[in-house]
Amino acid sequence: MSTSASDTAAQGRVAMQQTRAFRRPSRETLIRWAPLLVLIALVVVFTAINPAFLSLRNFGRIAIASTPALMVAIGVTFIIVMGSIDLSMEGTIAVCACVFAYFFLSWGGTLLSTAWVAIPLTLLLGAVLGLLNGLVHVLLRIPSFMASLAMGFVGIGLAILITRGEKFLIEDEVFRGLVTYRVLGFPIMVYLALAALVVAWFIQSYTRLGRNFYAVGGGEELAHASGLDVRRVRVMGFMLAGVFYALAALFAVGRLGVAESVSGANFMFVSITSVVVGGVALWGGIGGVWNALVGVLIVNVINNGMVVIGLPDFLQDGVLGFLVIVAVVLSTDRRSVSFVK
Amino acid sequence: MSTFIRDFIEREKMNRRNFLLASAAGMGSLVIPSAFGFDRARAQLVDPQIAWSYRDRASPYWLAIVSGGETFVESIGRPRDSLVNLINEGSSEKSLADIVSFLQATGGNCAIACDANDSPNARPIVEAVAAAGAYISTIWNKTDDLHPWDFGDNYVSHMTWSDLKPSEDLARALFDAMGGEGGVVHIGGIPANNPAIERLQGLRNALVDYPNIELLDAQPGDWDTQKAADVMSQFLTRYGDQIKGVHCANDVMAYGALEAMRAEGISGIPVTAYDGNPEAVDLVMKGDLLGTCFTNPHWGGGITAALAYHAAIGTFKPSEEPPEHREFYGPTILITQADAENFKKEFIDATPTYDWTDFWGPTNGQIQYPASN
Amino acid sequence: MYALQKVDKKFPGVHALKAIDFQVGRGEIVGLVGENGAGKSTLMKVIYGAYQPDGGQILVDGKSVRFANPRQAMERGIGMVFQEQSLIANLTVMENIFLGYEQQFVRWGVINWREMAEAARHQLAKVKLDIDPATVTSSLSFAQRQLVELAKVLTLEERVEGHLVILLDEPTSVLSSEEVQLLFRLIRELTARASFIFVSHRMDEVMEISDRIYVLKDGQVVDVVSRGGSSAETIQHKMVGRNVNKEYYREQRQKPFDSSRTLVELDGVSLPGRVTDISLKLHAGEVLCIVGTEGSGREAILRTIYGMRTPVEGRVLIKGQEVTSFSPRTAASLGVGYVPRERKIEGIVAGMSVYENMTLSQLGRHSSGGVLKLAEEKALARDWIKRLSIKAHSEHADCGNLSGGNQQKVVLAKWRSGGSDIMLLDHPTRGLDIGAKEDVYEMIRDMSDAAVGIVLVADTLEEAIGLAHTIIVVKDGRIQKTFGATSGVKPTPFDLLHHMI
Repeated sequence: MSTSASDTAAQGRVAMQQTRAFRRPSRETLIRWAPLLVLIALVVVFTAINPAFLSLRNFGRIAIASTPALMVAIGVTFIIVMGSIDLSMEGTIAVCACVFAYFFLSWGGTLLSTAWVAIPLTLLLGAVLGLLNGLVHVLLRIPSFMASLAMGFVGIGLAILITRGEKFLIEDEVFRGLVTYRVLGFPIMVYLALAALVVAWFIQSYTRLGRNFYAVGGGEELAHASGLDVRRVRVMGFMLAGVFYALAALFAVGRLGVAESVSGANFMFVSITSVVVGGVALWGGIGGVWNALVGVLIVNVINNGMVVIGLPDFLQDGVLGFLVIVAVVLSTDRRSVSFVK
Repeated sequence: MSTFIRDFIEREKMNRRNFLLASAAGMGSLVIPSAFGFDRARAQLVDPQIAWSYRDRASPYWLAIVSGGETFVESIGRPRDSLVNLINEGSSEKSLADIVSFLQATGGNCAIACDANDSPNARPIVEAVAAAGAYISTIWNKTDDLHPWDFGDNYVSHMTWSDLKPSEDLARALFDAMGGEGGVVHIGGIPANNPAIERLQGLRNALVDYPNIELLDAQPGDWDTQKAADVMSQFLTRYGDQIKGVHCANDVMAYGALEAMRAEGISGIPVTAYDGNPEAVDLVMKGDLLGTCFTNPHWGGGITAALAYHAAIGTFKPSEEPPEHREFYGPTILITQADAENFKKEFIDATPTYDWTDFWGPTNGQIQYPASN
Repeated sequence: MYALQKVDKKFPGVHALKAIDFQVGRGEIVGLVGENGAGKSTLMKVIYGAYQPDGGQILVDGKSVRFANPRQAMERGIGMVFQEQSLIANLTVMENIFLGYEQQFVRWGVINWREMAEAARHQLAKVKLDIDPATVTSSLSFAQRQLVELAKVLTLEERVEGHLVILLDEPTSVLSSEEVQLLFRLIRELTARASFIFVSHRMDEVMEISDRIYVLKDGQVVDVVSRGGSSAETIQHKMVGRNVNKEYYREQRQKPFDSSRTLVELDGVSLPGRVTDISLKLHAGEVLCIVGTEGSGREAILRTIYGMRTPVEGRVLIKGQEVTSFSPRTAASLGVGYVPRERKIEGIVAGMSVYENMTLSQLGRHSSGGVLKLAEEKALARDWIKRLSIKAHSEHADCGNLSGGNQQKVVLAKWRSGGSDIMLLDHPTRGLDIGAKEDVYEMIRDMSDAAVGIVLVADTLEEAIGLAHTIIVVKDGRIQKTFGATSGVKPTPFDLLHHMI
């Protein structure tokens, strides 16, 4: 074998070009599927370390933990696709949870009585809060970041006012059946959440509103120049998000049987992280509710897996942060933006 | 609100506060010596205003503290709303700034009950109060080198609660309920948070006497129901049937643990909690919780205000009291199924009438500091 | 002094540059022409260091060099004046000029603004621009910005030893003709200090300014033409491989319009600071060109008709109906379509597919109860892709990945498929290659045949004259003169220019 060094280098270069030529056409596809690949990789790694991770019961647990967060993530996905941001979810969830529990308890305390009216009422309340949020943002021309943050604080204040710092406990077996009654290993609420996801997907892909979200996110001026009522689209987006936050509130109460002023705590971080990890671009126009689902699962699998493999607690936050960055790096096409603000 | 946004907001507020604080300090150094300099000699105050400085209105704990304070002001013939609420929203700077402006507004004619939010913040607060000739009693947060007796009469007292012993007692009850063997898991508070450390240490202390009990895992539940439920379900995946008992660092995390097991159809595993919230007491009565621990915040809130007030008007002279009347542990009451019903009747359904001049009756002895070297 | 030898550049599936030989002599102005996709932009990127060639070598003063990034190329005296203006609009002129090179003015961590302003003034003097360096860039005209860009690149003179090579990418596209002449004079003067590579779609300008012209086609240099060595037609023929005939503007297809049907009427419209007392009528089948210099009010007139601006005085009637509430929404519902100049900002949504872009302005017609009829949308898109021969692999293709000409077709299809019969076209052929331009002219004639009224702001005077039935010349926001321009009685560019300046 007397291959010269330059020959080898040339061969290497050719090989490299070939692999690139082979890979390049699928780069977009790869980026599109990267979040799912990340999710699968996580499952494989955690299973390899502790096989108990890969069990129906554990998947059930991950699914329960993911359900309320998924609803929030779907809601905020619509907003982010529009190129806005919504930080009101914690307040909205707190108010919805507390109002729901208050009326549910005072109208009979069980789903089998007129107390069920509290459910549509809560969804309506979510829509109203979202509407207010959107109107403040659009009419007063306050950036969505500030408007929604302020509305979130208002929401938490309202929740404290309603509960006066106390908790509402919901003991109703029928309502709690959301989490206690299982079909094929998963509680009912998981199926309801999937149904909500399908509805969200339908809105995203098959309705004018959904299309308009993408148009506004992809090019607001263009949407305006195409005769779209951009302000109306924005307000509608916040309203829709509000309904999903209300759903999240219902699932959160259903899961723990408690409604209190801190019922919404941590949902902001979890949902926005999930959405970004799932591949929804923060600058708008890219991604959708399936990305939200994958993102929520990634975050919850990481959370679950770290305890299941016995990672020391002082490492967990750091590892979560690190994995989130890795997931974002892998799952977004950062070449499409020259500057990241 | 999630913490990163709250931190951001607080930082903004803090910057403003620092500025206000700096100007207040500048002004104070001019005003206080000239206007109130002679007041240092003033032995007692006449009809001082009473304030409670605390964290927030969102938690049952602080609501109970304030209700105690209000009951106390009522007992001296004032309307309940005459108690001034200084809410620091978890910010030490706001805590100090509010107290300084309260001192200025009242010209130092006031009695303050206070949780300084964090330990280092206690010193500037106490110094500001003493400089204005007002009176203060503190709970929970102060550094080990700050003592009431170093400030004459103006720093009346400090009360804290040791979680070690009650947590250990709860752990023993838990181990006994487990039949003295099997695995136990602990769901703790925010790491590095003092009560969280003490409550886990209490569990470890009890373990020494139970060789057949194994502490399988301890993970933070961040004082949060939802996080605790997640952690419990993760424990179930990792340890499954090995888990025979659950030790939680507070009530709301115990709810989470119970709900996580309920979602899986698991029952019969004993769970202990901490804080003695009314909901937890109900769960103890039903047998869902094995036990919890009550620190009587209502009494704590009332008596702290009472101490500051009575020292201010001269009912007693703090500097003549022994050390165990200046720094002491607050009361703790263990609640198990046997006494839950009585407890509920006595403390929850009715609020007991306290003698607000029996300052030290229910307390638990002088505060012991870890030996320093 | 600067040369490329056998430079090759490959991308997956595309052989973008094939053994390019290219030379620039000292003080020479070299033109570079080619259709879109011929490899011009790749070649430019190789020259200014954004791409590294896969084969061949780059020689500066006879020495082989390799640039890892544009900054390294700049350090060897190779600068680029960008087509997409690279100035940051909210910074001042001097900040833009010295962006990334502020260090020279920093004393103890503080920028010495006076010194920077002085240095900036020096740079601006090189391009004969007499403006305050502290002016915020966004308040400059396009022409001024172009000169600031040039001044920015000329800072290389102070930083770099030796001769400069400056790339000008479509520098004239936003300039009016007298501004172009100014720029050319300037470039000629600067040849004492720098060589230029001039890239443009405007053949006449390239021929006027260049000492030699490189003609690029399919990644290869197909010809190098010396000054006066060839006619525009010949060069264009080499570029596209076909003749650009005398009927470039499809004059033979221009038919009389229907003067009995008035589609748009402006009556004494005024917008303070923009236009004053504008009255005009647009008829069915008419092509109405508005001609004027940059900032003369051409765009304001279009935007008023489209409802993006509300006139302070005067009336706007669309199909006899007076417009009371001005919004694009109202205008669109009355059948007005708008093809903006900034295709990327207001024309298409990159990231959305062809069919989604096409139906964006008319979702109401393709949905019932808010639910979209996707099949119908896609069928419509397929139909228009065929009618306008849009080059896209399917209606699902991402519009952002289409070429400029095809994006423009999508924008036109968007409005035409929605049945708009009043079209406002703002520089519809800007940045398109000749073939794509001809397609647009063809479409304009098709629309006239279909009785669509068109208001056009053209890229060049020749284009305006060639396409229009009527030409309105505006200057300083006022109508100066109206020319009839039906076939046979067309005014000359000189006639128009006379009223423009």
